[in-house]
Amino acid sequence: MISMTRRVFVKRLIGFCLTSAAAFTDFFRPGASRAQTSTGSVQPEEKVEATMKRLFGARTIAPGDGKLKLEMPMIAEDGSNVPVTVQAEFPMTASRYVKNIYIISDNNRRPLNARFSFTPEAGKAYIATSLRLGMTTDVRAVAEMNDGTLYMVKREVKVTVGGCGG
Amino acid sequence: MAEIGRVRIRLPSSIQPGEVVRVRTLVIHPMEITERDKEGKVITKNYNFIHTMIVAFNGKEVLRGETTQSVSENPSFTFPLKADRPGKLTITFLDTTGKKYEGAEEIKF
Repeated sequence: MISMTRRVFVKRLIGFCLTSAAAFTDFFRPGASRAQTSTGSVQPEEKVEATMKRLFGARTIAPGDGKLKLEMPMIAEDGSNVPVTVQAEFPMTASRYVKNIYIISDNNRRPLNARFSFTPEAGKAYIATSLRLGMTTDVRAVAEMNDGTLYMVKREVKVTVGGCGG
Repeated sequence: MAEIGRVRIRLPSSIQPGEVVRVRTLVIHPMEITERDKEGKVITKNYNFIHTMIVAFNGKEVLRGETTQSVSENPSFTFPLKADRPGKLTITFLDTTGKKYEGAEEIKF
């Protein structure tokens, strides 16, 4: 005994096609939210306050003086290659460790430079790399502990020739 | 340009067991920056830059870096690694064209 008539079958078929088509277009919609969290796409152009809000929300950030060190030249002649070292002097044990180090430069069009995620196996938490700075700017380093505590240090770098064409 | 993706790794010449060593790495990559047209509008295209660095020791991920275009061309990184046992250190870089660049170094005492 066939319970489904032809009319019901056709109706369901149409319904199915419409819902899957909607899901399909939704997936390929430009500017979907996945672009926001990953650094794999070009970062949004925004003010540094917007970046801080996007990354840390309304969480309080403690001053990291003495614990978190940010080493950079006072004057960078070439903004396209500015060495930076961030050193977080916290113990790295399985129960308490530095989870993330963020490097953010205030006056860049896209302030987030990089994020590094550590595990206790690293033994220590420091990172050195080189940045592109568009103009004279404050550079911030933010360390996030595994319990969510945030520490920040900030210092100014004078840039003679900017290093960002974009 | 033929060298794009060459990963160089530098370790201290002698390593004591349990020591936290300083690892230096460098990858040859253009890290393209966004271009603008005459009106100052950003040209939409797939810019080629490294977005992820994965450091693994004996197959276990110990450090992951997420980089943007505001990291210099031919980026270099220095980071710590606890060398508590001998093994293989691998560093993988992923860029926005879907390419994968790998470098490996043995840690021995």
